[in-house]
Amino acid sequence: MDLQNLAYALVQLAHNFGAVAVTGGAIAGWLSLRRDAAPTTGLLWLVLAGWSVQAASGAGFGLISLAYYGQFPDLHGVAIVALLVKLTCATAGLLLSLLSLKFAGNWSAARRRHAWTALVGLAATALSAAAFLRWFA
Amino acid sequence: MKKQSLCMLLALAALPLLAQADTGSVMIVSPADNATLKAMADNKISYDVTPGPQGDHTHLYVDGREIAVLRELKGSYALKSLTPGAHDLCIKVVNKNHTPVGIEKCVKVKVE
Repeated sequence: MDLQNLAYALVQLAHNFGAVAVTGGAIAGWLSLRRDAAPTTGLLWLVLAGWSVQAASGAGFGLISLAYYGQFPDLHGVAIVALLVKLTCATAGLLLSLLSLKFAGNWSAARRRHAWTALVGLAATALSAAAFLRWFA
Repeated sequence: MKKQSLCMLLALAALPLLAQADTGSVMIVSPADNATLKAMADNKISYDVTPGPQGDHTHLYVDGREIAVLRELKGSYALKSLTPGAHDLCIKVVNKNHTPVGIEKCVKVKVE
């Protein structure tokens, strides 16, 4: 088995599950609030873990390229914009899930709803940007 | 013993870099190297690529700047708005992660 492809595949595996965690976790939390049930902190931890995995595995793609070819992937135009959007979403998702874990207990219901809506939005935006990064690179 | 372990570790670390000895090729059918092109003409670059085991598709560069992703391994691409002067045209094979794998071909052209 080719070690390089194995490395890329394992990072892709983590990246895919990270995407599922940030999207599924955020949608589950958002739906819980719509049903007037408070989302568990477990969902916030899932979203936080998901964004962490997304950030780490995203960096992993670049690092594998660096290890094997001495350079990062060659991106331009739309792909660069898509990557920047993904990086922004990951940073915002990490910060928002961290802030929610720490302070959401003191927030109003409206603010909590806004936070979960934002987490869903960030996940959806990152997923959409991923498609453009994949095909415009 | 420590020295042996260190050497082994360095050899393992260098393995990925050695792995880039890919077999593959890029042929730029036209324009030829040092060709002169007309600025007002419909210029295009024709190519034929064998990506090798790590390659997937190719990127086209003009003066070091990526201008297109070439999904077809054999074909041509219209070179729009080439300004008068000397230009470098390069086609690089990249992997699925869009990283150049070291297989490439460049030609110099002069646009009048």
